[in-house]
Amino acid sequence: MQLKKLAAAAMAIAALVVPVAAQEFIAGIPRNEALIIQGPAAQNAEWFNLWAPGGGASNNGLQQLTADTFWFINPEGTGDAAWTNALASDRPVYNDDFTQMTVTLKEGIFWSDGVEFTADDVVYTVQTQIEHPGMGWSAPFTVNVDSVEAPDRNTVVFNLKAPNSRFHTLFTVRWNAAWIMPKHVFETVDDPLTYNANPPVSLSAYVLHSYDTAGNWVIWKLRDDWQRTSIGMELDAEPQVKYVVYRNAGNPDARVIEQLNHNLDVINDIAPEGMFTIARDAADTTATWFPGFPFAHPDPTLPSVLFNHQREPFENKDVRWALAMLIDIRAVAMGSYRGAANLAALSTPPTGTAVTDYYVPMQDWLTSFELNTGTRTIKPYDPTVSEQIAALVKPQWGDQIPADPDQLKAMFGHGWWKTDATAAAELLQKAGFTKNGNQWLKPDGTPFTIKLMVEGDAIPTLARAGTIIAQQWSMEGIQTTVDVAGPTNGQRLGGGDFDVAIYWTVETWGGHPDLSFFLESYHSSFIKPAGEIQPPRNLTRWQDERLDAIIEANRTVSFDAPEVAQLGMDYLKLAVEEMPFIPLMAYNKFAPFDTTYWTGYPSAADPYSASGPFWSNLRYMVVQLEANPNAPAAQ
Amino acid sequence: MNGFAKYLVQRLFQFFLVIFLGVSLAFLITNLSPVDPVEQSVALMTNFGATDPRAVELMREALAELYGLQGTVLDQYLSFWGRVIRGDFGPSLSAFPTPVMSLIMSALPWTIGLLTLALAISWSLGNLLGALAGYYRSNLLLRLSGAAVMALHPVPAYIIGLVLLLLLGFIWPVLPISGGAQMNLQPGFTIDYIYSLILHGTLPALTLVLVGIGSWFISMRSLVSNIVTDDHVVYAELGGVSSGKIFSQYVARNALLPQLTGLALSLGNVFGGAVITEFLFNYPGVGRLLIQGIYRGDYSLVLGVTTMSIIAVAVAVFIIDLLYPLIDPRVRLS
Repeated sequence: MQLKKLAAAAMAIAALVVPVAAQEFIAGIPRNEALIIQGPAAQNAEWFNLWAPGGGASNNGLQQLTADTFWFINPEGTGDAAWTNALASDRPVYNDDFTQMTVTLKEGIFWSDGVEFTADDVVYTVQTQIEHPGMGWSAPFTVNVDSVEAPDRNTVVFNLKAPNSRFHTLFTVRWNAAWIMPKHVFETVDDPLTYNANPPVSLSAYVLHSYDTAGNWVIWKLRDDWQRTSIGMELDAEPQVKYVVYRNAGNPDARVIEQLNHNLDVINDIAPEGMFTIARDAADTTATWFPGFPFAHPDPTLPSVLFNHQREPFENKDVRWALAMLIDIRAVAMGSYRGAANLAALSTPPTGTAVTDYYVPMQDWLTSFELNTGTRTIKPYDPTVSEQIAALVKPQWGDQIPADPDQLKAMFGHGWWKTDATAAAELLQKAGFTKNGNQWLKPDGTPFTIKLMVEGDAIPTLARAGTIIAQQWSMEGIQTTVDVAGPTNGQRLGGGDFDVAIYWTVETWGGHPDLSFFLESYHSSFIKPAGEIQPPRNLTRWQDERLDAIIEANRTVSFDAPEVAQLGMDYLKLAVEEMPFIPLMAYNKFAPFDTTYWTGYPSAADPYSASGPFWSNLRYMVVQLEANPNAPAAQ
Repeated sequence: MNGFAKYLVQRLFQFFLVIFLGVSLAFLITNLSPVDPVEQSVALMTNFGATDPRAVELMREALAELYGLQGTVLDQYLSFWGRVIRGDFGPSLSAFPTPVMSLIMSALPWTIGLLTLALAISWSLGNLLGALAGYYRSNLLLRLSGAAVMALHPVPAYIIGLVLLLLLGFIWPVLPISGGAQMNLQPGFTIDYIYSLILHGTLPALTLVLVGIGSWFISMRSLVSNIVTDDHVVYAELGGVSSGKIFSQYVARNALLPQLTGLALSLGNVFGGAVITEFLFNYPGVGRLLIQGIYRGDYSLVLGVTTMSIIAVAVAVFIIDLLYPLIDPRVRLS
């Protein structure tokens, strides 16, 4: 009798909860008009001021869908097609000595509240931020801009304090950039730093529809006058995505479940295992960067083994090269990404235009590159690594692994360094090291031990890579322990509080060969003493006169000059010779798309836009998506 | 000074001492954190973008000034106490310039709703089952439920939550697995919104109940098992008092006293949030806020949440201390 009562109660509870499956997922918005994107959990959900500290990094759609600036570079693109004039009608025009930049603006662009966008907005953006230290782009404007003028409503002239051939990159979006402020809104507020800009006026095709005060979601709506935006005026037809929902879909496991339940169209990143689950269980409703294994999208970011050059013995290039020769990259690729890694021997990510500008043309040089171990000369480069990894993953993925070497290179990279313990031993001996049993001793007779810092769970693939490398070095007589830094990782990297770390110190435009994006900060004049915080990039504090010469030469040529790629190669060759850090691979992201409601996502075959939810280039994907005619009917 | 006044003064002294020591310790620990909020903000603003090292230097100086992080640790400590007394924890450093208090107050209702309900259920159910299991030791159904509760007790909240998430969010997808309410639904006292709140709160609440019920069950059963052998219970049984009356009046009531203290402490802990469960189900409560604060080096926020929690626990214990003499004559007499 009691059992029957319990069963009845269970049925009643089930009857109560089952309707949730039939409830509309977003109240009042048809699911087939909404693109649902993985977003963050906002602490201050009511804050929409992009220009306050930290505001420029908003990942909730604010910068991705409503902000605009002069130019965009598609991080996946190549050649001229990667460049987009957004608010500007043409590329930047510099005077001869790069002390003045003139920008011509497009006409017919309006803010979402109906006010026309003009050069006055740009002037106001620069001047206001210079007057308010602490605003997002105040510092770079203060450092660079002597004065800014608007000779007419469509022209802006920047007079610079010193020659700067890359000043325009402040207004060029790869991930974000200096967004233009609405003068007519901000000039009415007392303090632009404490103004919450709620509701925000939009300069792009979408405008705020509603948001969760608890910070879990923000919904953006296509503007009625979407044609009066820089992105809208280039479109032939109205975007089919009427609403964009940035929702915090929780932990990585929950994201996988939400996509399998068709409640999350675009994922930013999940673990390889999550990707494989989606590929297995929902292959018919999933699109990925590569249509099959390795699925992942390579970001223009270069995870590497970083050495602290201000700590002995990592200032010695023979030691760095020895450690590189002790890495079996196949095991690292298999252990970290289960084989789905795009390997990089050069010190630039193997993505976007870098493949055609650097990786392909430098293969011959890499193959013939010679390394002096102290007792002999070796050729350490192995161009067949992609084929070796293909052989390792083929038993699991079968026909998804092609035989064509070029396709394999696109999937797994162009090559890497051979594992050569003998050469490593010779290099260590050349550096004055000795071996006692299976333990390497430093020149002063103390054991050579390493603490290898990884961030931890936040980036599990890199933590796994670090663990494997630590094992490999330990097995060869260099006792290496993994040091999990957790949330202190960034701080310790910046402060130089590490021996060796797995992280990245190189990021590029992706869609442009110019390496100044990171290289500028590698100049020796910016290197800090141990204990002080190093500016972003050059976390290894690598210092070299030849590097300075390359950076100084790059400053004197324009962004699009043909010399840029040659200078890039000079840097890459120097980095191979010196091995200041050991590049491992592109930062592959597993970012599957659900095609139940939307199709036409970018892919390796058609890389027309960035695909990461947090990249502002994503807007070019949003307006191109097509509604799936076979989507479930609107409820 | 009569006995109760003396008792009150002692408890008040303890109350303020606990708050002083707890908050001071929290201040010290958060200030020892190697995560610098200025560096976190600089990283946010320079992440993924082209960065001029000279501009980064300037940015760093401007933010340190803006965040008011100058001065010695002692200066900051004294200033912090001034703010605590005024009920103002200053601006959040990771959500600058939003006041920490605003962030806490917007997250608190979610946590209080979830944790109070879950605590009420687990406390009532755990104690009831524990008391029954301790008193009616030969009852098969109670022994089975005891075994089930004991089996769940050592399982971490993360595992239970994950299993529920998979079971009721994926295999049999009948409950939402993320967030506090349906998207785009206007908050208010409407049937739709309340229904949505219940649906979204079910999985996290169930997780907390399953995790929490075990400790109440075990401690209550153990208390009851001791009390049933006490002289007054044996005497009542020999005197022919009904077993129902013995259970409710002689056994359960006595066993409930320490459980009430536990309840008060747990109620105070509500203000600290249920970190793992809120994280797992993406529930917008104080626990999730605390995690965000820790990861972003926002020690204003961490201190705000911690201080609230310390004060809440101290207040709860203080209230229970005051109520104890009313419930337990032995305390009043002593």
